[in-house]
Amino acid sequence: MMPTHNINLFPTRRDENWKYSDLRSSLNQISKGIESINEPFFTLPDGLTTEEVGCECASLKNISSVLAENYCHKAWKIDVPESFESDQPLVISNLNCGHSQIIININKGGRLSLVEYHESQSNSFINTNIIINIMDKGELDRIIFHDDTHETVRISSAIINSESDTRITQNAISFGGALSRIETIITANGENLNATINGAYLLSESRHCDMTSNIDLLKPNCYIRQLVKGVVKDKSNGVFQGKFHVHRPAQFTDAEMRHDALMLSDTSKIRSKPELEIYADDVACAHGNTIGQLDEDVLFYLRQRSIPLSEAEAMLTEAFVSDVFYSLKDNHLKENILTKIRGRL
Amino acid sequence: MLKINNLFANVDNGNKQIIHDLSLHIPAGEVHAVMGPNGAGKSTLSYVLTGKPGYEVTAGDVLLSGESLLDLSPEERASKGMFLSFQYPIEIPGVPTMTFLKTALNAQRRANGLDEMGAPEFLKKSRALAADLKIKPEMLKRPLNVGFSGGEKKRMEIFQMMMLEPDFILMDETDSGLDVDALRIVAEGVNKLREPKRGILIITHYQRLLDYIVPDKVHVLSDGRIAASGDAEFAKKLEAEGYDAYA
Ligand SMILES: Nc1ncnc2c1ncn2[C@@H]1O[C@H](COP(=O)(O)OP(=O)(O)O)[C@@H](O)[C@H]1O
Ligand SMILES: [Mg+2]
Repeated sequence: MMPTHNINLFPTRRDENWKYSDLRSSLNQISKGIESINEPFFTLPDGLTTEEVGCECASLKNISSVLAENYCHKAWKIDVPESFESDQPLVISNLNCGHSQIIININKGGRLSLVEYHESQSNSFINTNIIINIMDKGELDRIIFHDDTHETVRISSAIINSESDTRITQNAISFGGALSRIETIITANGENLNATINGAYLLSESRHCDMTSNIDLLKPNCYIRQLVKGVVKDKSNGVFQGKFHVHRPAQFTDAEMRHDALMLSDTSKIRSKPELEIYADDVACAHGNTIGQLDEDVLFYLRQRSIPLSEAEAMLTEAFVSDVFYSLKDNHLKENILTKIRGRL
Repeated sequence: MLKINNLFANVDNGNKQIIHDLSLHIPAGEVHAVMGPNGAGKSTLSYVLTGKPGYEVTAGDVLLSGESLLDLSPEERASKGMFLSFQYPIEIPGVPTMTFLKTALNAQRRANGLDEMGAPEFLKKSRALAADLKIKPEMLKRPLNVGFSGGEKKRMEIFQMMMLEPDFILMDETDSGLDVDALRIVAEGVNKLREPKRGILIITHYQRLLDYIVPDKVHVLSDGRIAASGDAEFAKKLEAEGYDAYA
């Protein structure tokens, strides 16, 4: 059956940025959400409200933006006031079928803790386009948790713009889907951004997860740490694409990118594309990328202590991914994430 | 208790035969020592007995209390009571020592149809044994063996052994890396485990440990087989005269 939507809006593998994630053909099995709008469910901390505004296309280069503009007639906007602080997070959930755009402005000195928690139930398409503008001295602490069915196709794209002296901490976890992509596009328009961008994907069956990020640094003194860890088993596919673009004025940038993956089967795949594009001369930038297996000697040691092979593998896999979340301050949340991970191993 | 009958084993996908027609019987309640030059096949024997993948038995049998071990997985052999104190204990980043030990203990108990040990009892038992072995409580919170000194790693092996109370103990070069004080502490721990129902096989290059854990029998392993056997005095003679006569 031919879908009625404008298929040309969706990228194919010829599109450089989507080379490893074939969005167009993954839509074949999808029955819902390709043309509809998805109303998010917000749990707001005291002092914040949502407002409905018109949808905008943040960037023509960003597929998620283009799709949102095409299929949404509105967006949800949240203004975080100057110097805002709360011990409650802003929770966005229920993005499980269709398109949505959310715009968050963190005003001067505001601090926002943002949790995106989504759990799809059926074979739907989801496109979430989030635009976050962080003013001077603003802070964003973002957690993304995707626990989808294996038939889901999900794109979650965040376009984050930061001014001076800002801080971003991001922890993403995904168990993949038919195709699942978490995109993080950060542009530091001001000096002194401190960003930690971590992620983990754990994939089984024929699931696919793509973690793609692009960090543009336009001003000096930014500090970036990125750590993404992946575990693939069965016939699953992991994709990591990371780019640091250090523009000429961005002197004294200190940026490090790591992607480490664990392949637990011969039939799984990892594709990794770390990129550094550097035009400033006084910077410290590095990237590392490893793909490995569980160490046979370590497995034998655990088995020699009566631990069954499958349990030994699960223990080592958990140990491998858990250091991504080592720095999470919320212990309750950290334990929840680790419990979910354990359930998947 | 442990009977090794005419065992042949190889490594490296069958390309390297290391154990040739080795027979050895360690009755319950006895402590035996296997000595031999470097490269004689001592560690290989310990891996063959515990089922390490890549160590292939081509003939012979290994029986623990009458039951053949050769078709069992490493974890099944361990649950039946085979314990190896490794010559080179493994570091496991990200796995706290206590988590590892509790998982091991409860896996062993489950395999033997016992209920899991509850946290209070586990803590009590582990704290008491750690104190006996002069292991600092902070060490138990750290990832297993990560950043431990050679001596600390060996003590950790003995600690695990005392927690798991195995029926048959294999110790591979436990004395290397230990200073005299640590050696005494370790030997005291092992001597406490000498019981009528338990068998112990100590693999060692030097005779030193055998001053503290006096064996019932001493064997020379050379070229993959038992070349000679004797009593505790024999170990002293071997140390003085070397292994050349048995090559
Ligand atoms: N996995 C292996 N692959 C190839 N050769 C091995 C392997 N394990 C042991 N060997 C060889 O077998 C011989 C005996 O080794 P080992 O059992 O470690 O001796 P010992 O413990 O008595 O010093 C040595 O020559 C060693 O190089
Ligand atoms: Mg050895």
